Amino acid sequence: MKTLLYFGRRLLIMLFTLFIIASATFFLLAATPGDALSARVEKLPDVVAERLYAKYGLDRPVLERYVNTMAGLLQGDFGDSIIYEGQTVQSIIQQKGPISARLGIQQMLLGVTAGLLLGVLAAVKKGTIWDYLVVGLSILLISVPNLIFALMLQQIFAGNLGWFPVIGWPKENIWFGGWEYTVLPTLAGCFGYIASYARLLKASMLDVMNQDYILTAESKGLSHGEVIRHHVLRNSFIPIVTQLPMSIAMCITGSFFIESVFSIPGLGLYYVEAVAAQDIPIVMGQTVILSAIYIAVVFITDILYTIVDPRIRIAGGKR
Amino acid sequence: MSEPLLQVNNLAVSYHGYAGEVKSVRGVTFDVQRGETLAVVGESGCGKSVTAKTIMRLIQTPPAEIKEGSEVLFDGEDVLKFDKKRLAQYRGGEAAIIFQDALAALNPTMTVGKQICENLLHHSKMSKKEAMEKAVDLLRMVGIPQPERRVKQYPHEFSGGMRQRVMIAIAFANSPKLLIADEPTTALDVTIQAQIMDLIKDWQKEQGASVILITHDLGVVANIARRIVVMYAGKIVERGESGVIFRTPRHPYTNALLEAVPRLDLKNKQVLASIEGTPPDLLNPPAGCPFCTRCKYCMEICCQEEPPVVTFEEGHEASCWLYSLEHPCEDAPFTWEGERK
Repeated sequence: MKTLLYFGRRLLIMLFTLFIIASATFFLLAATPGDALSARVEKLPDVVAERLYAKYGLDRPVLERYVNTMAGLLQGDFGDSIIYEGQTVQSIIQQKGPISARLGIQQMLLGVTAGLLLGVLAAVKKGTIWDYLVVGLSILLISVPNLIFALMLQQIFAGNLGWFPVIGWPKENIWFGGWEYTVLPTLAGCFGYIASYARLLKASMLDVMNQDYILTAESKGLSHGEVIRHHVLRNSFIPIVTQLPMSIAMCITGSFFIESVFSIPGLGLYYVEAVAAQDIPIVMGQTVILSAIYIAVVFITDILYTIVDPRIRIAGGKR
Repeated sequence: MSEPLLQVNNLAVSYHGYAGEVKSVRGVTFDVQRGETLAVVGESGCGKSVTAKTIMRLIQTPPAEIKEGSEVLFDGEDVLKFDKKRLAQYRGGEAAIIFQDALAALNPTMTVGKQICENLLHHSKMSKKEAMEKAVDLLRMVGIPQPERRVKQYPHEFSGGMRQRVMIAIAFANSPKLLIADEPTTALDVTIQAQIMDLIKDWQKEQGASVILITHDLGVVANIARRIVVMYAGKIVERGESGVIFRTPRHPYTNALLEAVPRLDLKNKQVLASIEGTPPDLLNPPAGCPFCTRCKYCMEICCQEEPPVVTFEEGHEASCWLYSLEHPCEDAPFTWEGERK
C-alpha cells in the first residue's frame, strides 16, 4: 500500500515537472523575435501569407496558442512541422531516432566499458604509473571538446589513411549494417564517457577501500583480488548507478557536433536546426518527449538504488 | 613456562606523511602466553591500534613503515615475513581481530550470513549450505535471537550491540588461537559492554585461546586480563600482573590513569582526576621520558634522558627515573616497597 502511494505521488510529480517544462519551452519560444514563417512569407503576397499564418495558428494571441498547444500535448498531438511539410514529431523521431540511438548506444557501451575498466585499473594500481596515465588521459579527454576529436579522427583515419568513409551513415539495416561508417563517430563520442566514468569509479573505489569493512575483509584472509571483487566493487558502484541511466537517456538524444561532422541524419542535428528555424511544434514535441524519457529514467534510477544498496528502501520502510 | 603464542619484539612503526615521519610505535616488546588475556592500555594516539593492526599485518605499507629489527613471532614464525599464502591462512584462521565500530566494520551491502560464511569458506572446505548452517550456529552462540532469520539480514538492520556480536561471530568462526579485540566495547553502552566482555571471556576459557584486549578503559580490564601492558606515546611504560598494577602502580602515568577510574569502594569521597595536557607530538618525540611534560613528579633528568626499565618483582616493570637509585626522588608517589606514601 505504502509502495503504491509512493508510486502515485512520484507519478504526479513527474507529470507536474513535464507541465512546467512544456510551458517554459512554449513561452521562451513565443518570446523570441520573429517566427518560423517570417523568412518564407517575405516574397509572398499578403493574402497567401495570412493564410499560411492561419494554417499553423500563428495568427492567434499567445495565450490562445498556449492553450491549444497544451490541449494538443494531452492527446499526444504536437502539431505539424512548419519547416518540413507533412512531418510530425512522431514521424521524425521514428525516422531519425534509431540513427541517433544506435550511435549513442555504441558510444556509451564502448565508453562506459572502457571507462570502468580504466577506473578499476587506476584505483587498484593507485600511485603507480598506470594511475597517472589514467588520470592524465581522463583530464585530456574531458577538457578537449569531442568536436576536435571528431575532426582529428576524420582527418587521420578517413582522410590520410583512408581506412573508413569520411562521412555518411548506413542506409539499410540501420541497427546492425554498415559498421565501417559507425567506427569513427562512435570513437569520437565515447571519450567523454571514458573520462567521466574512469574518474567516478576510481574516486568511489578509493573511498570504499578506506572503509573499515575492507580491513575486516582483509582480516578474514581474503586475497586482494577477492576483497576488490566481493567488497569494493559492489559498494563503489552506487554512484555509477546514479550516473548510468542518465547516460542512457542522453545517448538517444543525439549529438549535434558529431552528427554534423560526419553528416549523420540523426536527431541531434535535426533538433538544433528546428530550434534555429523556430519550428515550434517540433521543438515542443521533442522537448516534451525527451524530458519524459529523462524523468522516467530518474525514477528507474531510484528503484535501481534499492537493488544495489539494501539500506535504501522505497516508501521509508522501517529503520 | 611453555613458549608464548605471540612474541612482539622491538616493534617500531612509522607513518610517512606530508609533515614528516610520525613514529607511532617506538620499540615495543611484549609476549602473550597461550590461553591468557593480555590488556594493552593507553589513551588515544599512543600506538595501541597500530600495534594491533601490525600483528594482523593490516597496516598499509606505504604510507606506514615497519622498521628493520621488528619481529612479530606467532608460534615461532615471523608474521612480518609471511608470504601471501601463509598470510591468507593466518588472518582469520589462526588470528582474528574485532574492531571498535562494528557498523563501519561490516560491509553494508552484504548479508551478515554471507560475511560470516566468507570467513568459514576461506579457511575450510565445506559447501555453502554447510557454511550457512555454521553461521546460524555462530550467531546463536554469540547470543543473537532468531539466528535463522537474522543471517539473511543486512548490518543496518541490527542494533549496535548486535552488530558487535556479529563481528565477534566472524572472528570466532575458525576458532583462532589469537583474538585481538581493538576497543570492542568503546562504542557501546555500559550494560552491553559487560555482556560483550563476558562473551569474549567465556569463549576464551572454553577454547583456551589467547586474547589481546586493547582499551583505554582500565575499568573494563580489571576482571578479564591476567596481565596489563600500559602504553604511552608509542612505548610501553609499565607492565605487570593486573592485580599488581591495580594495587601498586609504579609509573606516574599508570597512577594517573587509575585515578581517573571511578571506584565503588570510595563511595562519594573520590575526586576523579584528569591528566592535564596532551600526549607529545610523535613527529618529534621528546628526548627524555615522553610523559615528562605532564608528570607531577618530573625531575630535570626526565626531560633529558630516557628512563631506565626498573624491575620490581617477577614480571612487573616500569620505565621511570623515580626508582633509579642514582637519582632518588623525595616526591615519588610510592616507596620502593610499593607502599602508597
